[in-house]
Amino acid sequence: MAEIVSVIALAHAPGATGWLDKAPAHEQEAIKVGYGRMAGRLRAARPDVIVGIANDHMLNFSVENVPDWCVGIADRWHGPSEWFRDWINVPDYAVAGNRDLGRTIVRECAKRGINLAFSEKLEFDDNWSVPLNFLTPDHDVALVPIHMNCVLPPMPQPERCVAFGRALAEVIKAWPQELRVAVMATGGLSHDPGGQKYFDVDEKFDRWFLELLGAGDEARVLRELSIEKMLGAGDGGTVELLAWLVAMGAAQTLAPGRGSETMFYVPSVPLRCGMGGVEWAVCA
Amino acid sequence: MGIMQTDRTLPANKLIFEVRRDAALRARFRDDLDGLMRDYGLSVEEQQALREINLQKLSDLGMHPYFLPQVARLFKGAGYNHNDSEAARLYADRMLK
Repeated sequence: MAEIVSVIALAHAPGATGWLDKAPAHEQEAIKVGYGRMAGRLRAARPDVIVGIANDHMLNFSVENVPDWCVGIADRWHGPSEWFRDWINVPDYAVAGNRDLGRTIVRECAKRGINLAFSEKLEFDDNWSVPLNFLTPDHDVALVPIHMNCVLPPMPQPERCVAFGRALAEVIKAWPQELRVAVMATGGLSHDPGGQKYFDVDEKFDRWFLELLGAGDEARVLRELSIEKMLGAGDGGTVELLAWLVAMGAAQTLAPGRGSETMFYVPSVPLRCGMGGVEWAVCA
Repeated sequence: MGIMQTDRTLPANKLIFEVRRDAALRARFRDDLDGLMRDYGLSVEEQQALREINLQKLSDLGMHPYFLPQVARLFKGAGYNHNDSEAARLYADRMLK
């Protein structure tokens, strides 16, 4: 049977690869060490495949027709998308997909009442390019990308995100193939592309959010973390933390009541983003 | 304004969505913006706002916030987009109160 060996969530802001040298030395160091710690944990879990959940950034789904989630089922993926190359500043890369697992997620979630789009073609921007650059720079772990609508209203509510995460964990665990799976949400923390707080970070919100996830109380998360609260901490981007709730739902299914461990947090104004990451110890 | 005020039916949103995904459309954005905007059915107001890089006006009309810094990058370049870059400075100049 497939096994979920790691559940993590981390920021994917393009400044981490695009203009990190503009941050003060202590921020650069803390971000590199933080991503490095997460890479070490992920390596230690020896995943065969990463099932990723991240904001689509309105890159793949036209404003006319935007799914809440879309599972990438191709055998192979390429990034970054052409216009985003200069911005993200990572080498072009290719990474294997996992068609069987992607199709299984779509098919089995449908049986649980969760409607997922799926696609052979997805353009990647910072959503995968930045975290993979730090976590699996050789791109030697397969990826099933799940693109998510975090920013074009109406977005899926926190309850649905957690429910999807729960279904995702159940579907993966029930898959009768020997496979070690990591669940990785990317996005956040506070940032505001296109808003009045573009050059700000809401450190107070970020630290509150990390503490909230750390407490491991799913009911409290759903009680206290509304979309409105995320919008208030950075309208254009903080809502990407909805992807983290999918990961939390998966983690809570595997280890009920266990909080996340904050691996790093750097409120970086030069990167225009609260940079951080967490891990849920689902195997401990 | 914010993401909740987005007008997803605004033609300018469709135009920016597609321009980022298509190098040929980006060439037209650079060389024939007026023709491109007409082809996408932008209103006179939208056309004027985009031509003048009036980000606040585009926002007021319902452009998705995410596209606003991207419009700045389409005009000023996307590389090395730190806070003092030309694109970021343009955004600050046009958007911040």
